[in-house]
Parts: sequence; C-alpha cells; structure tokens
Amino acid sequence: MFVLEGIWIALQQVWAHKLKSAFTLIGVIIGITFLIAVITVVEGMNRYVQEDFAGSLFGVNTFTVVRRSRISTGAETEERRRRQARNPDLTLHDVEVVQRAVPDAWRLAYSSDRGFDEVTYADRNRRNIRLIGASEGYEALQGWEVLTGRGLTPLDERRGLKVAVIGAEIAEKLFPDVEPVGKEIRIGSHRFEVVGVWDKQGGLFGNIRDASILLPFSVYRQTYARNPSEVDQISVKMRSLEEMEAAQVAVEGALRTDRGLRPGEENDFWIETSSELLDTWDKIVRVLFAAIPGLVSISLVVGGIVIMNIMLLSVAGRVREIGIRKAVGARRRDIMIQFLAESSTLSIIGAMVGILLGIGIAKAVEAFTPMPASVPPWGIAAGLTLGLLVGVGSGLYPAYRAARQDPIVALRSE
Amino acid sequence: MNGKQGMQMNGNEIIIETRGLKKLYQMGSETIHALAGVDMQIRRNEYIAIMGPSGSGKSTLMNLIGCLDTPTEGEYILNGTPVQGLDDDELARIRNREIGFVFQTFNLLPRASALHNVELPLIYAGVPAKERQEKAKQALATVDLADRTHHKPNELSGGQRQRVAIARALVNEPSILLADEPTGNLDSKTSEEIMNVFEELHASGQTIIMVTHEHDISEKAQRVITLRDGLIESHDARADGLLAGV
Repeated sequence: MFVLEGIWIALQQVWAHKLKSAFTLIGVIIGITFLIAVITVVEGMNRYVQEDFAGSLFGVNTFTVVRRSRISTGAETEERRRRQARNPDLTLHDVEVVQRAVPDAWRLAYSSDRGFDEVTYADRNRRNIRLIGASEGYEALQGWEVLTGRGLTPLDERRGLKVAVIGAEIAEKLFPDVEPVGKEIRIGSHRFEVVGVWDKQGGLFGNIRDASILLPFSVYRQTYARNPSEVDQISVKMRSLEEMEAAQVAVEGALRTDRGLRPGEENDFWIETSSELLDTWDKIVRVLFAAIPGLVSISLVVGGIVIMNIMLLSVAGRVREIGIRKAVGARRRDIMIQFLAESSTLSIIGAMVGILLGIGIAKAVEAFTPMPASVPPWGIAAGLTLGLLVGVGSGLYPAYRAARQDPIVALRSE
Repeated sequence: MNGKQGMQMNGNEIIIETRGLKKLYQMGSETIHALAGVDMQIRRNEYIAIMGPSGSGKSTLMNLIGCLDTPTEGEYILNGTPVQGLDDDELARIRNREIGFVFQTFNLLPRASALHNVELPLIYAGVPAKERQEKAKQALATVDLADRTHHKPNELSGGQRQRVAIARALVNEPSILLADEPTGNLDSKTSEEIMNVFEELHASGQTIIMVTHEHDISEKAQRVITLRDGLIESHDARADGLLAGV
C-alpha cells in the first residue's frame, strides 16, 4: 500500500515538474537508450548474419576451398598470415582433385571473381561492380534465382558465349525503364548480352549479389583473368551436415596428397564454412556485449547519483509529512518502502523513456542505413531491471534518512 | 476490541498510569529535568486538560503519553501495556492503534484529499482498501464533512481542516484522543465549534487528553492537570460527578 503511495507520489511529481524530471532522469535515460540501441542493432545484425548472410553467402552444408582465409578471426598470428600468403593459387587441376574426392557431391562449382570499374549501357553506367566467372552449377549452389530472363547454361560455358546475368542494382541503374534482357552491355572493351537479372538480395551485404555480374567461367578466364588457370574458390554443397563434414575431410586429404604435404605440415590451402563465419561473428558480438556494461554502468551510476540527490531534497522537503505518517503509525520500514517505491518509479520512468528512445534510434538506423534492427524482449527486460536496480540503489540512502526521522522533530519542522 | 460500549461499561478502568515518569535532556554540561517524576492516572472516558506555562514540561508529557518519545526513567502503562522500553516499530504500532493525535497546526498531508488523510492510519494498520474507505467516510461523516471527502486541505477552512484531523484521529478507534492546543490556530467562533466536537466525542465515550494554555478551553474538561517545572502542581477536578480520584 505504501508502495502504491510511493508510485503515485512519484508519478505526480514527474507530471508536475516535467522539465526537472527530464533533467533528473537524463542519466538513466541516456544509459538505457544506449543499451537498447546497441542491443537492438547488434541483435538485428546477429539475426541477419545467422539467418540470411551466412546462409546466402556460403549456403548451408556448404564448404569452400580457397587459397587463403578471407575472414579475419583476429586470432591468427602474423606468421600464419605470412605463411598463408605463400599458398599456391588454386587451379582447374585442384577442381579435378576435389571432384574426384567427392564424387557424390550434391553440387560442386568453382568460380573466380574480380572487382571492376564500370559497366555501361548506352550513356548510362554503374561503377564498382564485381565480375564473377562461374562454372556450371554456381547459381544453384549459391541459391541465386533469376528474376527475369535465364541463368547461365552449360551451353554458354562450352561455346564461350558472351552472355551475362546481372545483379538487381546494376539492372536498376542501367535499365531504369527498359527490359534489360537482350540488351548489350559493355564491360571494359568487351560487349555482353544480358540474358537474365538476379532477384534482389537487399540488406547489409546485399551488394554481393546485387552489384555482381555473372559470366560463364570460360569467358571470364579468357577475357578478364590474370592467370587463365587460376580458380578463386571451389564450393561443395552436400545434403546434410554429416555428409558435409565427411566431404570436407575427404577434400582436405585429397588436396594434401595431391600437393605432397607431409603429415604435420600445415595445409597450403584454406577451407571456409558458414560455421567459421558464424564463429567469427559470435566473437565480435561477444566483444560488443562485453563493452556495453562498462559504458552503460557509467551513465547509470551518474543517473543514480542524480536521483539520489533529488530524493534527498525530496526527503528534506517532506520532513513534516514523514512526522505525520509516523505519528499515525508508520513504521520505519513503511517509510523506507514508500521512498524506495518513489525512487524506483522515477528511475523506471527514465528506463521506459530510454527504451523507447533506444528503439527509436535503432529504427532510425534501420531506416537510414542498411543495418537491420531487432528488439529482443530480453533487452527490454534488461532495461527495466536496470532501471529498478538504479532506483532502489539510489533510493536506499534517502529512504534510510527518511525512515530515521524523529517524529517529534519532524512534526515541528516547517 | 475496545468498543465504545465497553468503555461505558468499565467507566472506572484506568487507561493511563504513570509512575515516577522522568525525562532528562543533556544541554551541554547541564541536565534539564523536562519531567522530574510524574505520577498520574487517567480513567477511561475522562476528559483531561493538561496546563502549565511554557517550559513546564507539558509538551514533553504529551510526547510521552503519545508514544512519540520514551521516558528516561519511570513507568508508563497505556491500556495495560507497559510502554517504556519499547522499540520504534512497537511504538509506531501503539500510536497507530491506541492514540489519535490532533495538532494545533492540523498536520494534514497537503497534497492528499480529506478522505486519504483520514485513511492514513488505516493504511498503516493494514486495513484493506475497501473497508478503509468505508471507515474513513464514516469518520468524516461523524465530524459533518461527508460532503468534503475529495477536497484537499487548502480547499478547506481552518475549522474543517481540524475536523478532518479529528476524523483521522478517531478512525482507528483509539483508546485516547490526544489533542495539542487544538484551537490554537482557530478564531474564537471556530474554536467553539471544535470544542463542541470534542464534547460530543466525550459524551459518546471517548477518552480525551488536551494540552492547552487557555483557561476557557480547559474549563470544558472534567479535570485539569497543571504542570510546573516538570512536576504536577495540581489535579483540579471540576464539573460533573466523575471526580476521578488520584
């Protein structure tokens, strides 16, 4: 009952002194806003990476052989990085080795790619694109689907046809109001016929697909490759995780044998999986989440001190009220509870404002940047819990002072 | 439960008894005997006025009787319970159940309605909300303020405020009503009105102890206890047949 009393008094005070309350609660508001904004953005990225990115970039049950690791885990040593830099290029010969090692692969594809300056159509152009020379099966393995037109076919590959399937962003830029399929685009000094457009991937990492142009591997090799036999990546997709793990071991063994590596010698190639990427991302998230408590607690401590001061003022201004309450039978703990409820209510109001602002910021980030936002229920719970803790913590000393008032002195005070 | 019928049946029951009640204060090296040994008995349904010049110890005595303070020495038995030596929370409980305070300055919570002010002792007694409101409304009705339940103190006249305070004092059916200069802040007409309320309450069985320095106020009481220098100077019984013996 005194809890309700405290809550009611706190609400009345906040309502009566809105500006003062805003200043009182600013520390808590900033702390919780920051907490929620960061949690929301990180959680959004987290979900994106786990659900979309890892799946779409690497695909499930898929592993990829590359010359050297493309993902920095932050864990590898300088020496290891230097050794990896000496790894030999992958070649079409390696593709054969892999093919022999996993004859039962569901999908197997290889590709090479490079950044390219510009693609033009008539007087329009799009800069910073990625050219991918892809073997048969690449699109299926990646899970890419054409929106209009068709994908690449074995015939394109065999005949070395100068055809291209383009990403959605490129299509939007070059063909704002015409159908791209059948048009001739120019990449450097070569011309290609657009035969299809990928559906849009969007999102934070969407430009990987949306800004890419896919060419038949044979055409890419003859036209743009720096070393015609070089292959940048060989991807294998299996039907299950167990199959994938077995295939990974088989491929690793086959490549080692083929390259004559002795037992104990490190691989001179690298195998990437989506779980490796997820591990790396988990590490990043863990670092972010480890940094939050420090930053948040600073502003919460400051916020708590401000609330404590306001509560001390409030107690000092209500000594007579305390005297009256004690005279009619309030025990020490009743007075304690009332003031604790008051400080907690103040702080929780701050936390609620912080949560709303934090979500607002996250939504703004989502709206104006490609970063996704997702508000996890536990984030809101954490915000409210922290608000309560700060409220109780900052209210303890003022409430104790209030509870200890001598009723005779208190009743005489003005 | 000490209903009012019970009080009338046991009209001679001693409700307050003090023996050698002393309160000492240390002022620098000097010890002040605010109360230097007070012996008195007050019976149920008595109407007592405590008088005395300032510094005579009447405020100290009133604080001790009201369980706002504990004596340095001596015994104080309130309604059968020895009060000396109780801790803060036990004193709070006794104030809540046994004593109804009426102050010179009313001491109402300024931001709370009349009803809420009257509910306050019931809140601390742990009475459920519905019953609480019922009782508080009843108490306000007995002081003729049934139509002012939702007014705040600053929307009420001085006399009305004091009547709210009286309703608050009565709402928990206390053993004694303890009034400290209850008319000190009121004009003479309103004072009379308040004194009439006290007389009605007394007539209905309420024990009343009133601290005052005004003789025409103390004249309403059955008995006047006069203090001087921390000691009882006289028990002056007046008025009707209840010349309660000491």
